[in-house]
Amino acid sequence: MVEIIDVILPIFTLVIAALLTIPVFRLIRKSNYKTTLTLSWFIAVFAIAGATVANLALNYYSTPSPGIVSLGLSGTNSSIFSSAFLVDAISIYMAIIIVAISAVVLIYTVFAVGSNDRPSERYFAIMLMTTACLLGAVLAGDLLTLFIFWEAATAGAAFLMLYKKNAFSINATLKYLIMIIIASAFVVLGMSLVYGLTGTLNYLAVGQDLTTLSNSHLLIIAFIFIAAGYAIEAAIVPFHFWLPDAYTAAPAPSAAFLSALVDQGSYYILIRVLLYILLPSTLNWTIMLAVMAALTMIVGNLFALIQNDVKRLVAYICVADVGYNLVAISSVTSLGLIGNLYFFLIGGITTALAFMAVGIINSHGFKSLDDLSGLGKKMPLVCLALVMAGLSFAGVPPFGGFIGKYLVFTAAIEANLSWLAVIGVLTSVLQTAYLFRLIYVMYGKKSKDGTAVKESKRILIPIFILAGSLIILGLFPSIVLNLIHPVVHQLQSIIPNLPIV
Amino acid sequence: MTFALLAVFAIPTLSIPLVYFTGKKSPKVAAIFVALIALVNIALLLTTVPTILNSSTHQYTESYTWISVIKTSFTLFADGISVSIALVSLALILVAALFSITYMAGKKHLPVYYALLCMLSVGLVGVFITSNLLLFYFCWELMLVPAYFIIGEWGYRDSYKQAFKFFIYTHAGAVFVLLGIGATYIATGTTDMFQAQAALMTASSTLVKWILIALTAGFAVKMAVIPVHMWLPDAHSEAPAPMSALLSGVIISAGAYAILRLSLGMVFPAVGITFGTNFLHALSIVGVLSAFFGSLIALVSTDIKRLIAYSSIAHMGYIMFGLSLFPANAAAGTVVLLASSLAITGTVLHIISHALSKGLLFLTAGGVMHQTEKRDIRKMGGLASKMPFTAVSSTIAALSIGGAPPFACFISEFLIFVGAFQIIHVDSFYIIPTALMLIATVLSLAYMLRFTSNVFLGQPKDEEIEVSKEGKEEKKTLEVSNYMKLSFAILVVLIILVGIYPTFFLNLIQTVRIG
Repeated sequence: MVEIIDVILPIFTLVIAALLTIPVFRLIRKSNYKTTLTLSWFIAVFAIAGATVANLALNYYSTPSPGIVSLGLSGTNSSIFSSAFLVDAISIYMAIIIVAISAVVLIYTVFAVGSNDRPSERYFAIMLMTTACLLGAVLAGDLLTLFIFWEAATAGAAFLMLYKKNAFSINATLKYLIMIIIASAFVVLGMSLVYGLTGTLNYLAVGQDLTTLSNSHLLIIAFIFIAAGYAIEAAIVPFHFWLPDAYTAAPAPSAAFLSALVDQGSYYILIRVLLYILLPSTLNWTIMLAVMAALTMIVGNLFALIQNDVKRLVAYICVADVGYNLVAISSVTSLGLIGNLYFFLIGGITTALAFMAVGIINSHGFKSLDDLSGLGKKMPLVCLALVMAGLSFAGVPPFGGFIGKYLVFTAAIEANLSWLAVIGVLTSVLQTAYLFRLIYVMYGKKSKDGTAVKESKRILIPIFILAGSLIILGLFPSIVLNLIHPVVHQLQSIIPNLPIV
Repeated sequence: MTFALLAVFAIPTLSIPLVYFTGKKSPKVAAIFVALIALVNIALLLTTVPTILNSSTHQYTESYTWISVIKTSFTLFADGISVSIALVSLALILVAALFSITYMAGKKHLPVYYALLCMLSVGLVGVFITSNLLLFYFCWELMLVPAYFIIGEWGYRDSYKQAFKFFIYTHAGAVFVLLGIGATYIATGTTDMFQAQAALMTASSTLVKWILIALTAGFAVKMAVIPVHMWLPDAHSEAPAPMSALLSGVIISAGAYAILRLSLGMVFPAVGITFGTNFLHALSIVGVLSAFFGSLIALVSTDIKRLIAYSSIAHMGYIMFGLSLFPANAAAGTVVLLASSLAITGTVLHIISHALSKGLLFLTAGGVMHQTEKRDIRKMGGLASKMPFTAVSSTIAALSIGGAPPFACFISEFLIFVGAFQIIHVDSFYIIPTALMLIATVLSLAYMLRFTSNVFLGQPKDEEIEVSKEGKEEKKTLEVSNYMKLSFAILVVLIILVGIYPTFFLNLIQTVRIG
């Protein structure tokens, strides 16, 4: 049985670790083994955080066929306004992948930041704090708790982008902050309307109350505000323009962190808000979302096609990825939900991998596609990692992206959105085109100067952990799909006529 | 042996890193390693043959748990058709590896080349021996990636561009296959092709028609028939010769196999007789057009490899025409016994004999290019005296492609035409296509004779070879190395064997029931 303490423990572990990071770094600053000690610190932190998440998962699954567990701080669900948590298969899954990916990204950060300039303790502290906030957001059980944790996470994200402090990154971060502030204002307004309509903010209670609502005019307004707010944060076209700038301006570890974790957080919120609270039976939003999904796939991929800067190209792939996730959400099928949860894990790993590889390439001074000419011969391992990421994006077996795309498009067909599936596969071909142009540039073109590049070996460890996991998840998707599968039955208790896989 | 097919999958997969590291020590050993893996796999596949011939279902099946959440299991099966084509594919992998020893010698990154060749064999054979749609797609795409890199890295002029074209075309086709597979899963709740076939009979007929169109269109791109042939001449002519042999030999034929197995075998029985007849007529028109287009351009091509590449388009036309002779009443759910459908038996045999002949033709052309460093057939001539072994092998391949007895393609084309005459009694539409295809056969012999006479017969057109060779060391012979000779010899023997004794394959093919 899950207790409230099980839920709070992982969040607190990471918050305390974040606070301790600054004194710990002060202590080891003078040491000769700084990198080793830093690494051991983070491994220790993530070992403990991982153990607490494992404890949560084991406690949750100790009961046969566990349902959706709501937990209040005061001990009961009855108090309307107390901060509440909710544990179900989705939030457990999210918690596991957040901690796991965050650990890999932090290892990369230790190597990447350590090799370039002075490691900043604040940077690591903010990464840990953001991870903690994301954990809080995915375990939240009411709209207010979600809002607080999520906004804290986005604030942390802004600091991660700002790390370089040059004109471009300040500009991009400012753009991001403005968008986020507008978004949160929208969300708050929408939520206050929902609270006014239902008298509660608890997910399940709100969802229940809204189905019996007699007049839906106010609900439509509330929905528009909440949806617009979260659409901005998830970078859905036409609210996507902050993302390419922000991810390009952010240093590579931040970009990897943001794309792998904060992006996933925003998809999670879309799933939670759309499938668990503002049910499609309450308000039919599927067509609207399907259109946005189509736009996002088209715009993201078209813009990626014309990019010359590699990092920006990957940033536009992130936008396109939002579109594929939306296809799955708008299908409102259990297959779509499974596909979505699987796809954004793969998408997160792939974008993180791509940003990490691009970060190393950038650190040697290669930025545009022209610079990358013949790089496949100079930096074979990093380029191999980038090729693997590209193939996974394109949905080519044996990489994980293929199973993800199959599930997503099949879900769209199941939901009678075949046109969306066709747009999806066509844009997917477009995606293949520009990714193979990248491969062509790296391997097919001759490099302009023959200077050899020295590859750092240790930084390849986190990169190949991710690349390896892409292959493993592509060959044996059951590892993750079995973890996701209980979600279907839980969602069925909310959407009774859900088509079952 | 209970794990035979799993081993066919696992042995090359697990060997990929081994091949790579062996290749670092000696590329030659890596090549022989790849050839040995193919040989072991041939032996493993042969162990399933008794089961196929003798069991009541005429199938050999193995099933393992894979992705239980979406009802997808790792189902491997072999029946007469799939085992025959898989055997031929492995034979081609084997000769391609042997041929590469001399052909690729001195090129860069050879360990990677052999590792990719090994990876290619996994996907290529996997396509034929699985009955799970998702696994089928998995293998279908898995052969693209190594093929892309082999064409790109070790090909001729501007090879990465041609490889890109190859990849984009075939991948664009493949995503429609993926949609078709997804729709089949939605309609039937299974991804096993045999279970899906039964379940599709009760599915919505509009959806079934769309599935048929999506799958067939996707596979047609791989087959490179008109009007989606554009990638083939470039990719095949710029690829290194062993890769051309594999591409033209089996990779494009995998499209034909997939149309037979999935479009016609799985979806077709559910579309209804009117739509089914129209569909088959459309296939036959595509077939005739491809055969004529390919043959006519091959007649005037001057580039040795482009000529053969266009002849591949022509022969995909024959195979497509053969597929269009599928009994139309199968569209109403009648089971097709291959023992009674000569046209389809002939088509499957033609896939096999074309793979062997075209593989040999590309390899000999590669040998000629490797020794003379020329590719324009107008500048060649009289090579028969300088490279007799190659000349004989190449002529056998050319005669087979041209449809001359006693070589392999003769018997398969003969069966297709006999089947066509059977069908004409039922459906008079086929009179004109059959007549046209007979004319195309003449064209096919014509361009092959032109090829042979230009390259090997007559007087040497270019004295430069003479001069340079005499100037060096008075070397009159240009004959290929022993490894190349061995690879030619294997294929020559197989072509003649299939030509005079096709019974081994015919017995296997005719056990199959479709629908």
